[in-house]
Amino acid sequence: MKTILLVDDSRAVRLATRRMLGQSNCSILEAEDGSEALTVLKSHPEIDAILLDWNMPIMDGITFLKTVRSDGHLPQPKIVMCTTEGEFSRIMDALQSGANEYIMKPYTQEIMLEKLQEVGVL
Amino acid sequence: MEDEILQEFLAESWENLGRLDTEIVQLEREPSNLNLLGSIFRTIHTIKGTCGFIGLSRLGLVAHATENVLGRMRDGRLEVSPPAVSLVLDGIDRIKELLAGLEEGGQEPNLNSNELIHRLDLLASLGDPIPKVSAEPEMELVEPEATPEPVAAPVEPMASKPEQSDRTPAPLTGMTEISVLEPAPVMAEPVVAAVRTAADTNESPEAGADGRKSVADLSIRVNVDVLDLLMNLVGELVLTRNQLLQLVRGEEESRFSAPISLLNRVTTDLQEGVMKTRMQPIGNAWSKLPRLVRDLCRLTSKMVELEMLGAETELDRTVLDAIKDPLTHMVRNSVDHGIESPAVRRQMGKTEHGTLRLRAYHEGGHVIICVEDDGKGIDAQRVLRKALDQGLITEVEAASMSDSEIQKLIFRPGFSTAEQITSVSGRGVGMDVVRTEIERIGGTVELNSIFGQGTTIRIKIPLTLAIISALVVESGSIHFAIPQLGVVELVRVPAEERKRIERIHDQQVFRLRNRLLPLIELREVLGLEASTQDDDVDLYIVVVQVGEEQLGLIVSEVFDTQEIVVKPVGRLLKDINVYQGTTILGDGRVIMILDVAGIAGRYSNNSNQTTTAANAGRNESEDQIEPTSLLVVSTEDDRLLAVPLSLVSRLEEFPRTSIEWSGDRMLVQYRGHLLPLVNLADSRSRGPLRDLQPVVVFSDGSNALGLIVDQIKDILEEPLIIRNGTKRSGTLGTAVIDGKATDVIDTQHYLKMTNPNWFRREAQASVRRLLVVVESLFFRQLVRTACEAAGFRVTIAETVTRAEEMLEHGDVFDAILCDADGQDPRLTQLSDWARKGSGGEERPIVVLTGAEFSEFHDSLRACGADVVLPKFDPQELTTSLKDLWHQRARSKGVLS
Repeated sequence: MKTILLVDDSRAVRLATRRMLGQSNCSILEAEDGSEALTVLKSHPEIDAILLDWNMPIMDGITFLKTVRSDGHLPQPKIVMCTTEGEFSRIMDALQSGANEYIMKPYTQEIMLEKLQEVGVL
Repeated sequence: MEDEILQEFLAESWENLGRLDTEIVQLEREPSNLNLLGSIFRTIHTIKGTCGFIGLSRLGLVAHATENVLGRMRDGRLEVSPPAVSLVLDGIDRIKELLAGLEEGGQEPNLNSNELIHRLDLLASLGDPIPKVSAEPEMELVEPEATPEPVAAPVEPMASKPEQSDRTPAPLTGMTEISVLEPAPVMAEPVVAAVRTAADTNESPEAGADGRKSVADLSIRVNVDVLDLLMNLVGELVLTRNQLLQLVRGEEESRFSAPISLLNRVTTDLQEGVMKTRMQPIGNAWSKLPRLVRDLCRLTSKMVELEMLGAETELDRTVLDAIKDPLTHMVRNSVDHGIESPAVRRQMGKTEHGTLRLRAYHEGGHVIICVEDDGKGIDAQRVLRKALDQGLITEVEAASMSDSEIQKLIFRPGFSTAEQITSVSGRGVGMDVVRTEIERIGGTVELNSIFGQGTTIRIKIPLTLAIISALVVESGSIHFAIPQLGVVELVRVPAEERKRIERIHDQQVFRLRNRLLPLIELREVLGLEASTQDDDVDLYIVVVQVGEEQLGLIVSEVFDTQEIVVKPVGRLLKDINVYQGTTILGDGRVIMILDVAGIAGRYSNNSNQTTTAANAGRNESEDQIEPTSLLVVSTEDDRLLAVPLSLVSRLEEFPRTSIEWSGDRMLVQYRGHLLPLVNLADSRSRGPLRDLQPVVVFSDGSNALGLIVDQIKDILEEPLIIRNGTKRSGTLGTAVIDGKATDVIDTQHYLKMTNPNWFRREAQASVRRLLVVVESLFFRQLVRTACEAAGFRVTIAETVTRAEEMLEHGDVFDAILCDADGQDPRLTQLSDWARKGSGGEERPIVVLTGAEFSEFHDSLRACGADVVLPKFDPQELTTSLKDLWHQRARSKGVLS
């Protein structure tokens, strides 16, 4: 069974995404900002993929991404950046910093499952 | 299923928006604060982002346009100017409207936001050389009608949402995680904070094993009704626990004592836990105020600095809800009426910025909230003029009012000083509503205003309405509860050390660790009789904290501390500021909870104003007694007489020629009857009758009487306090009315005088009428049977309220019979009932109770019961009633 971490400051988005993953037989973890995601990642090395929101309080998605990718001691799961048009212009930055994939918000179940397949998690 | 996502979205949006108003106002002050801008941007961004998931196109568009503007501001491409902020606030308001509509109807309300969006887009384009490059595609994305193609796919899973909510018309019920969402954005910080700390500790390996255990599972939202129910149940549990403790007291050997002591501990913990779930910081109620003040300032062109101190002060959520509106109103008042325009302030040598300070802190079992401004204060003269114009007071009243009394007029219903109705004030809500709201939850409002310097309104509200810890003490053989929060320490004064209680002037003091502690004899404050006046018994001093000061209450005995459930005091006792409630002890006794601050207030009145003690006493008691409409007349011998207007049927002027003599009695033909006339003046000073003689006509059923007076002076609204000191025949006593000693007419006396036979016949022949106030149906029938068998006519009132209505309505009763058990605490108005609507006649009051302890009987007597009888001996009841009537009649000299 795969483990997926959802990082988003919106409970509603986390809930919606959790629903979309409902049939996929994944174990799902949640965090509501980058710093919390770091904590969860450290205690859950089994995480296979992270769906990462861009704009969050305390620590945003891109900072989290860079922190994870630059720290060799941390587990290195697949990371899918969830972006809106606002960050779209900066998507190259994310990909260069080590994001495996990106997905435009709002995404559908189909698209999300597809992206997860593309990064080899499903 | 998606309903749940929608509810989650609504909940988090309200939370975030609640914080937003404060942030935006702060932003205006610190336009370059990037953190702030980032946070604001993120809130709107999150809402917009989530809209896409749920298919909320209208909301999405507004949020998007607002976000665009904020984004430009954040990137430094658009200036953070007041007009720009106002427009952003408009956008936020629209988002709130849409959310509220969504919450109510389950669908986005049909609001047209095109114009607003257009303005927001224009504003955004100011900061963008190539406008709408990035805005355009997104707007199409979320607007299904415009470009169905791209939207159909992304929104598909949610698209079924509206139909779904149609099928389930009540989307709020049947939820597991969320039951009811607050309509207003409260609970912003604490939940988030709680989640965060919880998440930090959620790193244990076993949490990892269970992959589903995560942040979202650590906090749940609970319907507030459930919390209220829990609180009530805990209250009942505490009472039961107290009863059990009482049962095993002194029986340490009992096999129940161990489980009961465990139950005791668990109950205490449970209670604390439940209380905690209901506590919220007052900052939640304040969060909207910065925005309010900002908008008001823009409307009124004033400059106001809003300071908020003690936002973390916690109080029960029901209390918090109740004070939100009054607080808003007071703040609005302060800005609109209190703080002057910058120009005026400069002239007066003040800073251009007015300061409005909100402070909250705990004091005893209360939360104090102060609303202070350094504005122009209350102009007593102007208030007085307005009150006169609006007919709230009479000229006569006005003349005798002190400044602080005048200032209090702003709490009168219907009062408004606004010179013109602005969009800010004049909305029909006055300070009277503020006061009513605060008093409804057991709070008090104090006003302190210095003309030219500012106004402070101090609200004192209970921390919680439910359960408090209290010390049970005894004074004058009666038990009382003192809220533990105010108690600092207990001092025992052994009989032989009584001399340590010294007197300075009229004040008793006690030397406690080199400090003089002012003392109050609780017995005296409460007007109780001394129990046993042995000087050789020990005394106890309960040292209490009131504000900055400490003082000692002298009591005769101190018992233990108990958790008590606070029940409110009755309406009539509400204004007596020495009691804050009642409670039921473990053994079933009902006792009063003392309001320590109220007692201290009384004491400080007494000690500071000893010279004007009489005056102060008068004011104080007048404040507590409902004003009565009084007709004031004068007689030829220059006596002032007053009579309650309710007893007067007409004021007439009879031509002298129409007045006839029959023997030594004057009569006049009046409405087809002969009306006996009585001259109120002393026979020696009587002059000839006037050509048009003023006469006050009374009637009592079918009998009428005219009193000849010299002049009809005035009709006043004043509390009627009759002092019996100078009782002369024909009067009930003397009262101070409009500052002058005035005799109050005993109409019964004159009715009897003109027609003694009538009165006697009536008194003897008529059937005794009995008002029976009993709630229990069974007991009611018992009483009715007994009384009817004894030949009385029985009228039943099921409730105290009903009984009061009857008395108010003027129904005639010769005695009142009342069941003390199961009645609400308003039984304390007994003494009031004795005279109510009886035309001055005092009727006997008999109280029945099943309780056997004498304290309770005493307290009933203290409340005005003439006789307290146990339940239930019919013989005893009827004998007592007959005895009482006999006594009354004899003391009036009607029967021999």
